[in-house]
This record gives sequence, C-alpha cells and structure tokens, in this order.
Amino acid sequence: MGKLEFAGLTKSFGHAKVIRETDLTVEDGEFVVFVGPSGCGKSTMLRMIAGLDEITGGELRINGRVVNDVAPVDRGIAMVFQSYALYPHMTVFENIAFPLQVAKLPEAEIRRRVAEAAAVLKLEERLAHKPAALSGGQRQRVAIGRAIVREPAVFLFDEPLSNLDAALRAEMRVELTRLHAKLGTTMIYVTHDQVEAMTMADKIVVLRDGVVEQVGSPLELFHRPANRFVAGFLGNPTMNFLPAEATGTAAGGIAMRLAGAGEVTVPVEGGAAPGEALELGIRPDDLRLGAGEVRFRVVPEVIEQLGNQSVVYGAAETGQAICAVVSGGFGLRPGVAAEFGFDPAAAHLFRQDGAACPRRVVPGATVAA
Amino acid sequence: MTDASRIAARALGFRALVWGFTLMTIVPFGLLLLTSVKSKQDLFEGAFVLPDRIHWENYVTAWVDGHFSVYFWNSVLVVVPVVGVSVLLGLLTGFAFAFLSFPFKKTIFVVLTLGMMVPTEAFIIPLYYEMRWLGLLNTYAALILPQIAMSVPFATLFMASAMQQLPRDILEAALLDGAPRGLILRRVILPLMRPAISSLALFLFIWTWNEFLIPLVLVNDDSLRTMPLGMLFFQGRYTVNIPVLTAGAVLVILPIIVVYLIFQRKFIEGLTAGASK
Ligand SMILES: Nc1ncnc2c1ncn2[C@@H]1O[C@H](COP(=O)(O)OP(=O)(O)OP(=O)(O)O)[C@@H](O)[C@H]1O
Ligand SMILES: [Mg+2]
Repeated sequence: MGKLEFAGLTKSFGHAKVIRETDLTVEDGEFVVFVGPSGCGKSTMLRMIAGLDEITGGELRINGRVVNDVAPVDRGIAMVFQSYALYPHMTVFENIAFPLQVAKLPEAEIRRRVAEAAAVLKLEERLAHKPAALSGGQRQRVAIGRAIVREPAVFLFDEPLSNLDAALRAEMRVELTRLHAKLGTTMIYVTHDQVEAMTMADKIVVLRDGVVEQVGSPLELFHRPANRFVAGFLGNPTMNFLPAEATGTAAGGIAMRLAGAGEVTVPVEGGAAPGEALELGIRPDDLRLGAGEVRFRVVPEVIEQLGNQSVVYGAAETGQAICAVVSGGFGLRPGVAAEFGFDPAAAHLFRQDGAACPRRVVPGATVAA
Repeated sequence: MTDASRIAARALGFRALVWGFTLMTIVPFGLLLLTSVKSKQDLFEGAFVLPDRIHWENYVTAWVDGHFSVYFWNSVLVVVPVVGVSVLLGLLTGFAFAFLSFPFKKTIFVVLTLGMMVPTEAFIIPLYYEMRWLGLLNTYAALILPQIAMSVPFATLFMASAMQQLPRDILEAALLDGAPRGLILRRVILPLMRPAISSLALFLFIWTWNEFLIPLVLVNDDSLRTMPLGMLFFQGRYTVNIPVLTAGAVLVILPIIVVYLIFQRKFIEGLTAGASK
C-alpha cells in the first residue's frame, strides 16, 4: 500500500517560497511523473516526501498517516538519486544488501533478496564488482536494486535516467515501466524529459515555479492543456502560438481574426468579446502542407528531412516564427514560400492570462474529461 | 622559429627552472647525508669530496653513545598516541561540525580556529604550571596530552571540511537506507575519508615529531627526551664531531621521510570513483 496525500504542502528556504500550497493525491500503485522546467521545485517535492527536506507547511500523509515528523527510514519510501549515490567502496552485492544489513535481517534472507533483485535487474554477473567497474546503465540498475530490496510502499526517482545516453535511456525507460507493472508499487518519478513523462506516467503533474499547473493523464494534458504553459511544455517540437483578435462568439465556438490567415472559428467553450486579444495554439504536426481549412504562407528557413517527414522551421508573413512537421515535403526549399494549413478543430485557444478555453472536440483521443 | 620549437624552448626554460629549485632543495640534504658517512679527517679535505670509505660507525655512535635509541623510542611513544587519538577525535568532532547542529556551534568553531592560531610560546608557562599542579611533569603524559589538545582544533577543521566535500547524495542515500549516525560514520564516511585521514595523520605526525618547546619545558629527564630535543643536547656534547652530529640529524629526519613516502600514495588516490557518473 502506498497512497500519498499532500494537503496544503509548502516549502520555503528562508524567505524564498519554493513550493506554493499544493494539494495532490497519489493513488496506490500509480506511476506519477513530476515534470517542469529546471528549478521549479521537483526535487524539493521529492525530498520532502523522502524526509530529506523538512516540510514548511501543510501535511503529508502516507497511507493516511501524517509523516511530517516521521524519520525517512520509517516512511516506507525508497529513493533513487540522479547521481546514483552508490557506495563506491562497496561491491554491487554490498550496495544492494546495505539497507537490509542495516535492518539486521538474517544473512540467508539478505542473500535471497539480493539475488532476487539482481535477477530482475540482470546484475547477477556483476555482484562482486565495485561501482567504478560498471557502466552508467548498470550503476543505475544497482541504485534501483538497492531501492527495491527494501520493498518500500513508494518509490521516488529523481531524474534517474538523465545521465544516460539516448539509447540506454530508451531501454531503461521500458525496463522501469516493466518493473512498475511487476511490482505494482506507487512510483513518483521526476524528470524534465517530456518523452519520459508521456510514455511512463499514469498521471503527470506539471510544475512551474513551485505551483502545480495541471494534473492529469498524459493524453489529457496533451490534448486538453489547462493553460499556455502546459501546452508549450508538452509536445515536441513545441506548439506554435499565433496572435489573434476575437470577433465574437459563434455557435461553433469563438470566432477570431488571425493575422495573415483571415477569419477562423475555433470550437471551444466560452465566449469572447469582440476585440479581445487571444492566442491560437497549433501543434507543429497538426500543420499540413497545402491542406487544411485555414491557410497561411510560411517561408521555410531550415528544413530537416527525416526520411518520411520534414521538420520545417520558418516564418509566417507576419514575421511570426513557425515550426511544422509534415509528411513528405520533399519539394520544400529554404527561402521559397509555401502554403501551410490546419483544421480549426486541431487548434487550441488561450486567453490573455494564459488560461485555455476548453476544447469541444479532441481529435485522436478518447479522454475522460 | 616554428610554433613547436618555440613551445619546446619555453618548456626547456621551465624545466631548467624546476631543476634549479629541485637542486637547491636536494643539495644541502645530499651534503648532510655525505657528511654523515665521513670521518673527521675526510671533512678537512672539503665539503664535496667523497670519503675513501663509508663510515657507518658515525650512526652507531649517535644511536648508542648519543642516546638516539632512547630518543627515537620516546618519539614513537609520543607520536603514535598523539596522532591516533587526535585523528579519532577529529573524526568525531569533524562529523559534528559538518553535519549536526548543536548550541554555540559557530562560537565553538571560532574558538577552535583561535586555538590553532595561538603559538605554543604564548601558553607554555601556564601549561607548565598546570602540568606541575597535576603532577605530570617529567612523564609521557606531559608530552602526549598537551599535544593532543594542540592537534584537535586542526584535526576538527580538517575533517569537517573534508566531510563537507563528500557527495551529499551518498550520505542521504545511507540515511534513507535507515543507517543510524554511528553506522553512517563507520561504514560510509570512514572508508570514503581514507585519503583525508592519511593526509591528516601525516601532517600531525610531522608536527608532533618536530615539536620542540613542549618536551623542552615539560620534561628534563634525559630518558624522556624526544628526537629533536635529543638532537639539541647531543649537539652540546658532540660539537667537535661534525660527522656524528650530522648522522644524528639524519636519524631525526629519516622517519619523517619514510612515513611521508608511505602515506603520500594515499594522498593521490581518489576513493569516490564510481559513486556517480
Ligand atoms: N537548500 C536550498 N536552499 C535554498 N534554496 C534552495 C535549496 N534547494 C533548492 N532551492 C531552490 O529551490 C528551487 C527548486 O529547486 P529544485 O532543486 O527542487 O528544482 P528542480 O525542479 O529539481 O530543478 P532541476 O530540474 O534543475 O533539478 C530552486 O529555485 C532552488 O534554487
Ligand atoms: Mg532536481
């Protein structure tokens, strides 16, 4: 069992408020990913859960028990550090066995559990080696092994893959997902890699400057971002934001004038007064070459051919930077204007303060709203 | 001139400079060694002239007649407990200063720093009376206890700063693994601190071995004298026999060199390799 509840949790270092009041529930067995730009308070959040940083205000409950003043070891959590934090003078076996030895388990039990963890993590051949003799991925697995032998209720991972190269990262990502399926334990995972967030999470928590911007499933966040920040943070390449001016509220949504592209009606809830400044968001892969209801001209500057796709970086006639991912596109030339378009249903709409207007149609996804 | 040859020329100049300095350091030392195996007659031939045979008997004279055997063992008996106890205490106090919070931490830290700066001359007289009052004059305790007290401030600061430089993650990992303080110190910090501990032991060894004022003032029994002090009294007795004197000097320095050679390898070894990426 590993259910976590944050009730008005805050953290300050001196006068600096690093985490603003946070309310959040992590269900037992959930894989929750905290994402956000550097310095937004992800690590601080984890360290408060682990008990390495004191909680300034509010309550943290694990399985219904308030743990604000409970020692780290008694919280039933295990943490994997970004730097692995292995004991360099101990062998792999000793590293994994250390928490068990501290807990004074019988020798036979320690051997059994370490062997089991080593089998899961494919470390059997390496048990007698020191960390210095291991590759980055193996070190990471030792760190995970040290965490799983304790059989914690909650796992905490602080950017565990950021020191690995791309191929190994992809591999470890799958392994971690598999591990989660096998153990069924609650896992809280911090990253600023949105691919990790999208692929691994049951639930993503997007943080900015110590404020939770949105909580939801990966697809929900992707298709129904609550605000401009979340929309811009998730998705790669990032969403294009085009300035627009509302012309009124129509039956089909909000109508607006888009500079260089004419009139558009985006199917969203709510209304807008004529003249209200809005921002239309469109993801690069929702732009199409010479197709779509709304068309505008873009002068490509850089074209990256990926074989089946082309990634185009360019500027619209208004000077606005545009990125598009289109299939084909082999005829595109830098400096030669081409017509791109999109369907209004694919667009997002944001108000001046960054809040998103709720979308009516969500293409390509069945989202429990 | 090409670039390569210019660089080579500059390197050559630099090397010559380094060699110059090295020679300046080594020559007097070599001269000391050379003189210590000459006879008195050889000495009149000139400082750099080689003797016709090696006069080892100078060392025997110094060791036996000059009481260096006694001084040597006294030095060992003093240095070993001083270094051992100071390192141990330094580990504990250093740990406290590095990781714990306790009342008056800053104040105590300042006092320790002051303790390091006050020269022995400033407190030797009160120390003498204190030792007399305790009835410890002319005992090993008079040599050992004050020197432990004098070493602890430096040991504390040295250990504390070394511990602060340990990777914090590793200590936090140990904390999360449930290890209590004592265990973290013993099983995680201590092994990682081996290079720092051996450097500290080396510093303390050299200072304690060379300490002069404490044994001079606190003991006057020849059977309790340490090497540097023995050297002084030996000089008084043997001023005419320069080769035997230099042999005594070599005997005083030799243990420092031997210990340095043993310990300096540990200086260089890094032990945190593999802890992280
Ligand atoms: N011990 C501390 N004292 C003061 N400020 C701190 C301390 N630790 C963190 N902070 C501040 O808290 C904020 C959040 O830090 P945190 O390490 O949680 O960020 P993060 O989201 O993990 O970033 P990154 O992705 O770079 O790891 C930062 O602005 C940081 O400067
Ligand atoms: Mg961080």
